[in-house]
Amino acid sequence: MEDYGFFQSWAAVFCAIVGTIIWRIAGVVLASRIPADGPVMGWVNTMAYAMVSAVLLLILVHPTGVLATTGLDHRLIGLGAGLLAMFISKHLIFSLLCGISAFALAIQLV
Amino acid sequence: MNNPEFHMLNASQTRRNAAIDALRAPCYALGITMAGFSTIARESGFDFWMALVTSLGVWGMPGQVAFASLYSAGASLFIIFVAVSLANMRMLLMVISAADMMHLKSHNLPLWKRIFWMQFLAITAWANLGLAQQKYPSHLLLPYYQGFALMIFAFGILGTIFGFFLSDLLPPDILRVVIFITPIYILLLIINARQKANRLAVLIGGVLSPVFFPFAGEWAILIAGILGGSLASLYSRFIAKWHLDPVQ
Repeated sequence: MEDYGFFQSWAAVFCAIVGTIIWRIAGVVLASRIPADGPVMGWVNTMAYAMVSAVLLLILVHPTGVLATTGLDHRLIGLGAGLLAMFISKHLIFSLLCGISAFALAIQLV
Repeated sequence: MNNPEFHMLNASQTRRNAAIDALRAPCYALGITMAGFSTIARESGFDFWMALVTSLGVWGMPGQVAFASLYSAGASLFIIFVAVSLANMRMLLMVISAADMMHLKSHNLPLWKRIFWMQFLAITAWANLGLAQQKYPSHLLLPYYQGFALMIFAFGILGTIFGFFLSDLLPPDILRVVIFITPIYILLLIINARQKANRLAVLIGGVLSPVFFPFAGEWAILIAGILGGSLASLYSRFIAKWHLDPVQ
Protein backbone atom coordinates (compact mmCIF):
# COMPACT_ATOMS: atom_id res chain seq x y z
CA MET A 1 0.00 0.00 0.00
CA GLU A 2 1.40 3.36 -0.91
CA ASP A 3 0.01 6.84 -0.39
CA TYR A 4 -0.13 8.98 -3.47
CA GLY A 5 1.16 12.53 -3.38
CA PHE A 6 -0.34 15.31 -5.48
CA PHE A 7 1.83 14.51 -8.50
CA GLN A 8 1.29 10.76 -8.30
CA SER A 9 -2.49 11.12 -7.95
CA TRP A 10 -2.68 13.06 -11.17
CA ALA A 11 -0.23 10.69 -12.85
CA ALA A 12 -2.65 7.88 -11.92
CA VAL A 13 -5.56 9.79 -13.52
CA PHE A 14 -3.38 10.35 -16.59
CA CYS A 15 -2.58 6.59 -16.78
CA ALA A 16 -6.30 5.73 -16.60
CA ILE A 17 -7.14 8.21 -19.36
CA VAL A 18 -4.31 7.05 -21.63
CA GLY A 19 -5.27 3.41 -20.95
CA THR A 20 -8.70 4.11 -22.47
CA ILE A 21 -7.86 6.60 -25.20
CA ILE A 22 -5.36 4.27 -26.86
CA TRP A 23 -8.26 1.92 -27.70
CA ARG A 24 -10.38 4.72 -29.10
CA ILE A 25 -7.55 5.93 -31.32
CA ALA A 26 -6.69 2.37 -32.40
CA GLY A 27 -10.39 1.79 -33.15
CA VAL A 28 -10.67 4.88 -35.35
CA VAL A 29 -7.48 4.00 -37.24
CA LEU A 30 -8.42 0.32 -37.71
CA ALA A 31 -12.04 1.08 -38.66
CA SER A 32 -10.96 2.84 -41.82
CA ARG A 33 -8.86 -0.17 -42.85
CA ILE A 34 -11.35 -2.99 -42.30
CA PRO A 35 -13.70 -3.42 -45.26
CA ALA A 36 -17.36 -2.83 -44.32
CA ASP A 37 -19.70 -5.85 -44.70
CA GLY A 38 -16.68 -8.20 -44.81
CA PRO A 39 -16.17 -11.20 -42.52
CA VAL A 40 -13.67 -9.36 -40.29
CA MET A 41 -16.14 -6.54 -39.62
CA GLY A 42 -18.84 -9.13 -38.85
CA TRP A 43 -16.48 -10.84 -36.39
CA VAL A 44 -15.49 -7.56 -34.69
CA ASN A 45 -19.19 -6.75 -34.30
CA THR A 46 -20.08 -10.10 -32.73
CA MET A 47 -17.12 -9.76 -30.34
CA ALA A 48 -18.25 -6.24 -29.39
CA TYR A 49 -21.76 -7.51 -28.66
CA ALA A 50 -20.46 -10.53 -26.71
CA MET A 51 -18.03 -8.39 -24.69
CA VAL A 52 -20.65 -5.78 -23.78
CA SER A 53 -23.03 -8.57 -22.77
CA ALA A 54 -20.21 -10.15 -20.72
CA VAL A 55 -19.60 -6.86 -18.85
CA LEU A 56 -23.32 -6.44 -18.09
CA LEU A 57 -23.87 -10.01 -16.89
CA LEU A 58 -20.84 -9.66 -14.63
CA ILE A 59 -22.34 -6.45 -13.20
CA LEU A 60 -25.62 -8.31 -12.61
CA VAL A 61 -24.20 -11.58 -11.25
CA HIS A 62 -21.13 -10.29 -9.36
CA PRO A 63 -21.85 -6.61 -8.68
CA THR A 64 -19.82 -4.14 -6.64
CA GLY A 65 -21.14 -1.11 -4.76
CA VAL A 66 -24.83 -0.55 -4.04
CA LEU A 67 -26.09 -3.38 -6.28
CA ALA A 68 -24.12 -5.85 -4.15
CA THR A 69 -26.56 -5.16 -1.30
CA THR A 70 -29.31 -6.92 -3.28
CA GLY A 71 -29.63 -10.69 -3.71
CA LEU A 72 -28.73 -12.56 -6.90
CA ASP A 73 -32.31 -13.87 -7.07
CA HIS A 74 -33.67 -10.30 -7.00
CA ARG A 75 -31.45 -9.26 -9.89
CA LEU A 76 -32.23 -12.39 -11.91
CA ILE A 77 -35.98 -11.87 -11.40
CA GLY A 78 -35.60 -8.32 -12.72
CA LEU A 79 -33.53 -9.48 -15.68
CA GLY A 80 -35.92 -12.35 -16.47
CA ALA A 81 -39.01 -10.11 -16.31
CA GLY A 82 -37.39 -7.53 -18.59
CA LEU A 83 -36.32 -10.14 -21.16
CA LEU A 84 -39.71 -11.86 -21.10
CA ALA A 85 -41.51 -8.55 -21.66
CA MET A 86 -39.11 -7.75 -24.48
CA PHE A 87 -39.75 -11.06 -26.25
CA ILE A 88 -43.51 -10.68 -25.94
CA SER A 89 -43.99 -6.94 -26.52
CA LYS A 90 -40.83 -5.92 -28.45
CA HIS A 91 -41.27 -2.54 -26.74
CA LEU A 92 -38.11 -1.27 -25.08
CA ILE A 93 -39.34 1.21 -22.48
CA PHE A 94 -42.28 -1.00 -21.45
CA SER A 95 -39.91 -3.96 -21.00
CA LEU A 96 -37.48 -1.80 -19.04
CA LEU A 97 -40.33 -0.77 -16.71
CA CYS A 98 -41.33 -4.44 -16.27
CA GLY A 99 -37.74 -5.42 -15.41
CA ILE A 100 -37.22 -2.54 -12.97
CA SER A 101 -40.61 -3.03 -11.28
CA ALA A 102 -40.04 -6.78 -10.91
CA PHE A 103 -36.62 -6.04 -9.37
CA ALA A 104 -38.07 -3.46 -6.96
CA LEU A 105 -40.91 -5.83 -5.99
CA ALA A 106 -38.50 -8.75 -5.56
CA ILE A 107 -36.38 -6.71 -3.12
CA GLN A 108 -39.48 -5.93 -1.06
CA LEU A 109 -41.20 -9.31 -1.20
CA VAL A 110 -38.71 -12.14 -1.80
CA MET B 1 -36.48 -1.73 -42.31
CA ASN B 2 -35.89 2.04 -42.41
CA ASN B 3 -38.92 4.18 -41.70
CA PRO B 4 -39.60 6.62 -44.58
CA GLU B 5 -40.49 9.50 -42.23
CA PHE B 6 -36.93 9.46 -40.86
CA HIS B 7 -35.47 9.76 -44.37
CA MET B 8 -36.87 13.28 -44.73
CA LEU B 9 -35.05 14.65 -41.67
CA ASN B 10 -31.92 16.79 -41.91
CA ALA B 11 -28.87 16.49 -39.67
CA SER B 12 -29.95 18.99 -37.00
CA GLN B 13 -33.47 17.52 -36.76
CA THR B 14 -31.87 14.11 -36.32
CA ARG B 15 -29.58 15.45 -33.57
CA ARG B 16 -32.62 16.88 -31.79
CA ASN B 17 -34.53 13.58 -32.12
CA ALA B 18 -31.53 11.72 -30.74
CA ALA B 19 -31.22 14.09 -27.78
CA ILE B 20 -34.93 13.52 -27.04
CA ASP B 21 -34.42 9.74 -27.29
CA ALA B 22 -31.63 10.10 -24.73
CA LEU B 23 -33.91 12.15 -22.47
CA ARG B 24 -36.59 9.41 -22.50
CA ALA B 25 -34.81 7.17 -19.99
CA PRO B 26 -31.14 6.35 -20.49
CA CYS B 27 -29.59 9.70 -19.54
CA TYR B 28 -31.14 9.86 -16.05
CA ALA B 29 -30.12 6.29 -15.30
CA LEU B 30 -26.61 6.94 -16.57
CA GLY B 31 -26.36 10.19 -14.59
CA ILE B 32 -27.16 8.25 -11.42
CA THR B 33 -24.78 5.44 -12.39
CA MET B 34 -22.00 8.03 -12.73
CA ALA B 35 -23.06 9.51 -9.39
CA GLY B 36 -22.46 5.98 -8.10
CA PHE B 37 -18.93 6.10 -9.53
CA SER B 38 -18.36 9.46 -7.84
CA THR B 39 -19.37 7.97 -4.50
CA ILE B 40 -16.92 5.09 -4.96
CA ALA B 41 -14.23 7.54 -6.08
CA ARG B 42 -14.69 9.75 -3.02
CA GLU B 43 -14.48 6.72 -0.73
CA SER B 44 -11.28 5.69 -2.56
CA GLY B 45 -9.59 9.03 -1.77
CA PHE B 46 -10.17 10.98 -5.00
CA ASP B 47 -10.67 14.70 -4.68
CA PHE B 48 -13.48 16.32 -6.68
CA TRP B 49 -11.31 17.36 -9.62
CA MET B 50 -9.78 13.91 -9.98
CA ALA B 51 -13.23 12.30 -10.11
CA LEU B 52 -14.41 14.86 -12.67
CA VAL B 53 -11.33 14.58 -14.91
CA THR B 54 -11.55 10.76 -14.74
CA SER B 55 -15.16 10.82 -15.98
CA LEU B 56 -14.33 13.36 -18.69
CA GLY B 57 -11.21 11.58 -19.90
CA VAL B 58 -11.96 7.89 -19.41
CA TRP B 59 -15.75 7.86 -19.97
CA GLY B 60 -16.12 4.11 -19.55
CA MET B 61 -17.69 2.91 -16.32
CA PRO B 62 -15.96 -0.49 -15.83
CA GLY B 63 -12.51 1.08 -16.31
CA GLN B 64 -13.39 3.93 -13.95
CA VAL B 65 -14.52 1.55 -11.22
CA ALA B 66 -11.37 -0.56 -11.68
CA PHE B 67 -9.29 2.62 -11.38
CA ALA B 68 -11.02 3.74 -8.17
CA SER B 69 -10.65 0.34 -6.49
CA LEU B 70 -6.96 0.06 -7.44
CA TYR B 71 -6.36 3.63 -6.28
CA SER B 72 -7.87 2.87 -2.88
CA ALA B 73 -5.64 -0.22 -2.66
CA GLY B 74 -2.56 1.91 -3.43
CA ALA B 75 -1.65 0.04 -6.62
CA SER B 76 1.31 1.18 -8.74
CA LEU B 77 0.75 3.43 -11.76
CA PHE B 78 1.70 0.59 -14.10
CA ILE B 79 -0.93 -1.74 -12.61
CA ILE B 80 -3.53 1.05 -12.89
CA PHE B 81 -2.65 1.57 -16.54
CA VAL B 82 -2.83 -2.16 -17.37
CA ALA B 83 -6.07 -2.80 -15.43
CA VAL B 84 -7.91 0.20 -16.88
CA SER B 85 -6.73 -0.70 -20.39
CA LEU B 86 -8.01 -4.25 -19.98
CA ALA B 87 -11.32 -3.14 -18.48
CA ASN B 88 -11.91 -0.71 -21.34
CA MET B 89 -10.49 -2.80 -24.16
CA ARG B 90 -13.98 -3.32 -25.55
CA MET B 91 -13.77 0.35 -26.64
CA LEU B 92 -11.62 -0.85 -29.53
CA LEU B 93 -14.35 -3.15 -30.79
CA MET B 94 -17.14 -0.67 -30.05
CA VAL B 95 -15.37 2.16 -31.87
CA ILE B 96 -14.77 -0.03 -34.96
CA SER B 97 -18.35 -1.26 -34.86
CA ALA B 98 -19.81 2.26 -34.37
CA ALA B 99 -17.63 3.69 -37.17
CA ASP B 100 -18.92 0.91 -39.40
CA MET B 101 -22.58 1.53 -38.49
CA MET B 102 -22.24 5.28 -39.08
CA HIS B 103 -20.27 4.85 -42.32
CA LEU B 104 -17.77 7.23 -40.73
CA LYS B 105 -15.43 6.96 -43.71
CA SER B 106 -18.02 8.50 -46.02
CA HIS B 107 -18.20 11.67 -43.89
CA ASN B 108 -14.57 12.50 -44.71
CA LEU B 109 -13.76 13.87 -41.27
CA PRO B 110 -10.12 14.54 -40.36
CA LEU B 111 -8.58 12.00 -37.98
CA TRP B 112 -8.67 14.32 -34.94
CA LYS B 113 -12.38 14.94 -35.43
CA ARG B 114 -13.10 11.22 -35.68
CA ILE B 115 -11.15 10.65 -32.46
CA PHE B 116 -12.89 13.64 -30.83
CA TRP B 117 -16.36 12.23 -31.53
CA MET B 118 -15.36 8.72 -30.47
CA GLN B 119 -14.31 10.12 -27.08
CA PHE B 120 -18.05 10.32 -26.27
CA LEU B 121 -18.68 6.68 -27.13
CA ALA B 122 -19.65 4.41 -24.25
CA ILE B 123 -21.84 1.33 -24.02
CA THR B 124 -25.20 3.17 -23.90
CA ALA B 125 -24.59 5.32 -26.99
CA TRP B 126 -23.14 2.37 -28.91
CA ALA B 127 -26.08 0.10 -28.08
CA ASN B 128 -28.56 2.84 -28.99
CA LEU B 129 -26.84 3.34 -32.30
CA GLY B 130 -27.75 -0.25 -33.12
CA LEU B 131 -31.41 0.60 -32.48
CA ALA B 132 -31.23 3.84 -34.49
CA GLN B 133 -29.74 1.87 -37.38
CA GLN B 134 -33.10 0.13 -37.73
CA LYS B 135 -34.92 3.47 -38.20
CA TYR B 136 -32.57 6.04 -39.72
CA PRO B 137 -30.77 6.02 -43.07
CA SER B 138 -27.03 5.52 -42.66
CA HIS B 139 -26.01 9.10 -43.56
CA LEU B 140 -28.03 10.39 -40.56
CA LEU B 141 -26.48 8.02 -38.04
CA LEU B 142 -23.48 10.27 -37.33
CA PRO B 143 -25.74 13.25 -36.41
CA TYR B 144 -27.93 10.82 -34.43
CA TYR B 145 -24.90 9.60 -32.50
CA GLN B 146 -23.71 13.18 -31.88
CA GLY B 147 -27.05 14.24 -30.40
CA PHE B 148 -27.48 11.10 -28.33
CA ALA B 149 -23.92 10.72 -27.07
CA LEU B 150 -23.54 14.39 -26.10
CA MET B 151 -26.77 14.35 -24.09
CA ILE B 152 -25.71 11.15 -22.31
CA PHE B 153 -22.24 12.62 -21.70
CA ALA B 154 -23.70 15.83 -20.23
CA PHE B 155 -25.87 13.85 -17.81
CA GLY B 156 -22.98 11.53 -16.94
CA ILE B 157 -20.76 14.49 -16.06
CA LEU B 158 -23.56 16.17 -14.08
CA GLY B 159 -24.01 12.85 -12.25
CA THR B 160 -20.30 12.78 -11.42
CA ILE B 161 -20.46 16.35 -10.07
CA PHE B 162 -23.61 15.93 -7.98
CA GLY B 163 -22.69 12.40 -6.91
CA PHE B 164 -19.48 13.63 -5.30
CA PHE B 165 -21.32 16.03 -3.01
CA LEU B 166 -24.81 14.60 -2.75
CA SER B 167 -24.16 10.87 -2.60
CA ASP B 168 -26.17 10.55 0.59
CA LEU B 169 -29.21 12.27 -0.91
CA LEU B 170 -31.01 9.23 -2.36
CA PRO B 171 -32.14 6.57 0.12
CA PRO B 172 -30.30 3.26 -0.56
CA ASP B 173 -33.57 1.45 -1.43
CA ILE B 174 -34.22 3.81 -4.32
CA LEU B 175 -30.55 4.12 -5.29
CA ARG B 176 -30.10 0.40 -5.92
CA VAL B 177 -33.23 0.22 -8.09
CA VAL B 178 -32.04 3.19 -10.14
CA ILE B 179 -28.52 1.75 -10.57
CA PHE B 180 -30.16 -1.45 -11.87
CA ILE B 181 -31.69 0.51 -14.80
CA THR B 182 -28.57 1.03 -16.94
CA PRO B 183 -27.41 -2.61 -17.23
CA ILE B 184 -30.96 -3.86 -17.89
CA TYR B 185 -31.62 -1.11 -20.42
CA ILE B 186 -28.48 -1.93 -22.41
CA LEU B 187 -29.08 -5.70 -22.23
CA LEU B 188 -32.61 -5.24 -23.59
CA LEU B 189 -31.22 -3.09 -26.40
CA ILE B 190 -28.50 -5.49 -27.50
CA ILE B 191 -30.58 -8.68 -27.17
CA ASN B 192 -32.78 -7.04 -29.80
CA ALA B 193 -29.86 -6.42 -32.20
CA ARG B 194 -30.78 -6.42 -35.85
CA GLN B 195 -28.51 -9.26 -36.97
CA LYS B 196 -29.04 -12.78 -35.65
CA ALA B 197 -25.29 -13.35 -35.28
CA ASN B 198 -25.07 -10.39 -32.90
CA ARG B 199 -28.03 -11.61 -30.85
CA LEU B 200 -26.38 -15.02 -30.57
CA ALA B 201 -23.14 -13.31 -29.49
CA VAL B 202 -25.03 -11.46 -26.72
CA LEU B 203 -26.44 -14.78 -25.51
CA ILE B 204 -23.16 -16.72 -25.55
CA GLY B 205 -21.04 -13.84 -24.15
CA GLY B 206 -23.58 -13.24 -21.38
CA VAL B 207 -23.72 -16.89 -20.34
CA LEU B 208 -19.94 -17.45 -20.47
CA SER B 209 -18.77 -14.45 -18.45
CA PRO B 210 -20.27 -15.39 -15.05
CA VAL B 211 -19.18 -19.01 -15.70
CA PHE B 212 -15.54 -17.97 -16.25
CA PHE B 213 -15.51 -15.34 -13.48
CA PRO B 214 -14.68 -17.71 -10.57
CA PHE B 215 -11.55 -18.94 -12.38
CA ALA B 216 -10.54 -15.96 -14.44
CA GLY B 217 -11.71 -12.86 -12.47
CA GLU B 218 -11.99 -9.75 -14.63
CA TRP B 219 -10.36 -11.62 -17.52
CA ALA B 220 -13.71 -13.39 -17.86
CA ILE B 221 -15.02 -10.37 -19.81
CA LEU B 222 -12.25 -10.61 -22.37
CA ILE B 223 -12.46 -14.40 -22.69
CA ALA B 224 -16.27 -14.45 -22.92
CA GLY B 225 -16.20 -11.62 -25.44
CA ILE B 226 -13.66 -13.17 -27.78
CA LEU B 227 -15.02 -16.71 -27.41
CA GLY B 228 -18.70 -15.72 -27.56
CA GLY B 229 -18.17 -13.43 -30.54
CA SER B 230 -16.07 -15.95 -32.43
CA LEU B 231 -18.50 -18.83 -31.79
CA ALA B 232 -21.47 -16.71 -32.89
CA SER B 233 -19.58 -15.57 -35.97
CA LEU B 234 -18.53 -19.09 -36.94
CA TYR B 235 -22.00 -20.49 -36.33
CA SER B 236 -23.69 -17.83 -38.42
CA ARG B 237 -21.21 -18.14 -41.26
CA PHE B 238 -20.70 -21.88 -41.58
CA ILE B 239 -23.59 -23.67 -39.89
CA ALA B 240 -26.68 -21.48 -40.08
CA LYS B 241 -25.42 -19.51 -43.08
CA TRP B 242 -27.23 -16.38 -41.95
CA HIS B 243 -26.75 -13.58 -44.39
CA LEU B 244 -25.30 -10.37 -43.08
CA ASP B 245 -27.79 -7.69 -44.05
CA PRO B 246 -25.91 -4.89 -45.71
CA VAL B 247 -26.80 -1.63 -43.99
CA GLN B 248 -29.29 0.38 -46.04
